Amino acid sequence: MPTITFSLKDLQHLLGRKLTIEDIQELAHYGKGDLESYDKEIDEVKINFGDTNLPYLWSVEGFARLIKGVLGLQKGIPEIKMQKGLYQVIVDKSVLKERPFIACFAAKGHEIGDYLLKQIVQLQEKFCEGYGRRRQKVSIGLYSYKRVSFPIHYKAAEPSSIEFIPLDFKAKMNLKEILSDHPKGKEYAWILDGFDKYPVLIDEKNEVLSFIPIINSNFTGKLEAGDEDLFFEATGTDEDAVNLAANIFAYALYDRGFQIYSVEVKYPDKKIVVPNLVEESITIRNDQIKQLFGLELEGDEVKALVENAQFNFNMSVNRSAISEHPQKPKVFDDYKVQIPSYRADILHPRDIIEDIGIMYGYDKIGELPLTTFTIGSALKLNEFIDKVRDVMVGLGYQEIVSHILTDKVFLYKKMNIEDFGTIEIEDYMSETYSAVRSWILPNLLEVFSRNKHVTFPQRIFEEGLVNIRKGENIIEFSRIAIATSHENSNYTEIRQVLDFIMKCFKLSYNIEEAEHGSFIEGRCARATVKGKKVAYFGEINPVVLENWGLEMPVAALELNLTELFELMEKR
Amino acid sequence: MDIKKLADSLNPVERKVVKVLDNFNSFNDIIKVTGLKDVEVMRALQWLQNKNIINIKEGHKEIVNLDENGFAYLKRGLPERRFLEALGKPASIPELSKKAGLSNDEITVSLGALKSKAAIEIKKGKEIIVSITDQGKYLLNNGFPEEHFLKEMFPKEMNSLNAEEKFVLDNLRKRKKIVKVELSRIINAEFTETGKRLLKEKIDDELIERITTSSLKTSAWKGKKFRRFDVKINVPQIFAGRKQHYRSFLDEVRLKFIALGFKEMNGPIVETDFWDMDALFMPQFHSARDIHQGYYIKEPKYAKDLPEEKVKHIKAAHENGYNTGSKGWRYDFDIKRTHRHILRTHDTSISARTLASRELKIPGKYFQISRCFRYDIVDATHLPDFNQVGGFVIEDGINFGHLKSLLRMFAEEFAETDEIRIKPSYFPFTEPSAELQAKHPEFGWIELAGSGIFRPELVKPLVGKEVPVIAWGIGLDRLAMFKLGINDIRQLFSHDLEFLRNVKVI
Repeated sequence: MPTITFSLKDLQHLLGRKLTIEDIQELAHYGKGDLESYDKEIDEVKINFGDTNLPYLWSVEGFARLIKGVLGLQKGIPEIKMQKGLYQVIVDKSVLKERPFIACFAAKGHEIGDYLLKQIVQLQEKFCEGYGRRRQKVSIGLYSYKRVSFPIHYKAAEPSSIEFIPLDFKAKMNLKEILSDHPKGKEYAWILDGFDKYPVLIDEKNEVLSFIPIINSNFTGKLEAGDEDLFFEATGTDEDAVNLAANIFAYALYDRGFQIYSVEVKYPDKKIVVPNLVEESITIRNDQIKQLFGLELEGDEVKALVENAQFNFNMSVNRSAISEHPQKPKVFDDYKVQIPSYRADILHPRDIIEDIGIMYGYDKIGELPLTTFTIGSALKLNEFIDKVRDVMVGLGYQEIVSHILTDKVFLYKKMNIEDFGTIEIEDYMSETYSAVRSWILPNLLEVFSRNKHVTFPQRIFEEGLVNIRKGENIIEFSRIAIATSHENSNYTEIRQVLDFIMKCFKLSYNIEEAEHGSFIEGRCARATVKGKKVAYFGEINPVVLENWGLEMPVAALELNLTELFELMEKR
Repeated sequence: MDIKKLADSLNPVERKVVKVLDNFNSFNDIIKVTGLKDVEVMRALQWLQNKNIINIKEGHKEIVNLDENGFAYLKRGLPERRFLEALGKPASIPELSKKAGLSNDEITVSLGALKSKAAIEIKKGKEIIVSITDQGKYLLNNGFPEEHFLKEMFPKEMNSLNAEEKFVLDNLRKRKKIVKVELSRIINAEFTETGKRLLKEKIDDELIERITTSSLKTSAWKGKKFRRFDVKINVPQIFAGRKQHYRSFLDEVRLKFIALGFKEMNGPIVETDFWDMDALFMPQFHSARDIHQGYYIKEPKYAKDLPEEKVKHIKAAHENGYNTGSKGWRYDFDIKRTHRHILRTHDTSISARTLASRELKIPGKYFQISRCFRYDIVDATHLPDFNQVGGFVIEDGINFGHLKSLLRMFAEEFAETDEIRIKPSYFPFTEPSAELQAKHPEFGWIELAGSGIFRPELVKPLVGKEVPVIAWGIGLDRLAMFKLGINDIRQLFSHDLEFLRNVKVI
């Protein structure tokens, strides 16, 4: 969710209105944004925009455009005039496999000051990092127009064959060196993994514009305050996303007062003109508005709202009849809605209707009570679990809740046993949270280890989920671990707890001697119900106590509630 | 308390002590007279003082005792006596030393002591010759004052010594390890005004301390009084079993949903990309799905139990909108990737499973409370795993107006307010989407819930037909923290027993 920073004065200037920061806060909601902060001293507004599919809002120009629509200062798709430019970009077939798409334009006739430069870079970075998937899907370059000679060639080159001075550097480097030594090279080298040749933009005078998508040249690719003309390009792996980038920038710069000049892109097999400011259409039906928002709107009301949302609106000639009742066909109006070329988030009529609802105002939409009677219910397993928890509280045990993520040392090494099947995380952030717990008792021993100074007896339990890997299968269980620690805690005490639980649920069970590294040999038992092993319990091995730094004996039990529940259900 | 009640409140030990206290007021004496243990007497005195019956006075006194040489000389005689005894006829120092078996130190001390008492005469010639005087002979026969002193009963209080004894003591203290003087704590008790009045009361020895089975059987309690207790006194703390504070809060939330007609659903924590994201129409290339946002599982990497028919429909929804009227995301959906195991990143995966399930009832209301996992640095505001509360309402004919009333109900139920704001929001799987802010009477404006109506691109492939589904997720952790009075989110999972035993019940 990108946060953009801009000056309130600049926004007021773009709108031609003296809106207050409170107005801005309200208006941001129309773009699914929230005012994060406003620093009056330095005139800095920060707004966080929630919709990751609306990158046109990640610039103050785009936000100003939205506000114009909301306030009715401008209706329908905002104007953009494009001049026919006499520029050409020639795409070599060598880039077609890895990164085939390019869109560009020239923007001229407006001075670029420090502030505007920052705004342009902000939009570029937010777009490339988020929507452009960290430059992999789309990357953007901006160049000083006067230093570029057309036509420009987009091609792939041998890593060592080309060298130039990268942006803000002093010495020439070849492409291979840039990837290994330049900070941007290191950051984005992953995108070019497995490429034999690397994509570059080179102009007619053989001057390198950019090593795509890594770094621009220090000569052509450096915009400076005071420049009035610039050249824009976006390249990438997704044609729609590349075009969207060019359109969003063309609009933003046009809104600023630049003139936009088109570029002809010559592919090996075709020629196209970019930016491709095509405005797609979608048909919505009046009754869809009613279905979604409960609103019954006349055609001209819909038109006004659609135009506030900056779509073009055409009352359709056709009316579609929905014939649920053939005698009384309900008639609904169809509307053809045209989408501005800087928006790529409209997939379904629903997306237009949401904007109609937003423009209408969520607070004006009436509330309707849910009147259908439904019966609430808990999961049967959870009901059983809650009853067991109640029994434990009755026995004087304190409930514990722990994190499910843990590590293998915690689960096995400290417990003196072997790994019995762990779900491990592939790319964990910290070792402490690198595995899903396979049993719960270690959590309880950890609790004891942290509370050595606290009044004894300490009697605790935790119910929760565990996951165990069995070959290619993952099994999830709810288990309860119970532990008692004080001078005289022993086998008898924990066995009494098990007996009591089993008695509470009228379960018949067998006790057999068991071997388990966490428990003292000869003082460890297993409980089975209908031949199914459901619990381990006994006195904790002093080796384990020592591993946890414990100074009091512990007796403990771990019981599989999922299996116990299933056995009870079968009864 | 009146004196009568006070008398009835004395426990057996207190009674014993009070009775002797009139005559014996020192701690040691009380021990001797009552035969109680010193801790018992100490405790009784303390209790009596708490009841304002006595004042305990503590002080210090000097105690004189023999030191190691003192004990030795008591047996073997003082060196000066041995010196004189060896002095049958005048003798030189070396001769004396040999005869009396005295060390050089002892000789020196003896010479000094005897000279000061005029018990010997010293003649200096070629060598020093010592002879006994009459006074010396008298002392030898009748004993030295020091000898008399050593034979006294020790330990002795300094205060009990007369002037002569004190003089002797001072002399002995100058010599090596004959006597020692130590400070000792003394405890005395004296009656207060209340105590004096109490003494005039009859102190009943027949008070019943506690009921026993035999006293009940024999009716031995009849006609007798029970000792009165001081009911205001603090008693030792106990720790009963308790449910965990945060889980109790979630239990309450769960009950509330059930009461509101919602059915509880569940799903596994080890999910697949399919249920966690793809089925929710989040495109596989979406930035929110970068590997660093979720925990992928090492092994087994891929699930084998996905409903392949649904997978096919979801694939179509992503690629071309299925038959929903959507364009879809227009990319090649990766079937292998959709099977990839991941720890569920949000609870909406469970809603997706329920929508696709044969058990789904329309109309229906569903909810879940579930543990979710996000790739994050753990600190005061982020946990490695956390609980989410969410669900959906599915019913033909419901719309945004119903969603609004549902949100209002949540605000009333969970934030105890009807002051709410509903504003546009964004979630990849709902359109429209709305955020609920509620003004809690105590805690002010809080972001309480995210919600929306599920997109047709996920409803149709999962349910098999188009039907409105209102989806929502409530953020209750902050509310729980407010209510529990804690400000570090990690305390929701605290392992501090002191904290767990004492935290407020909500």
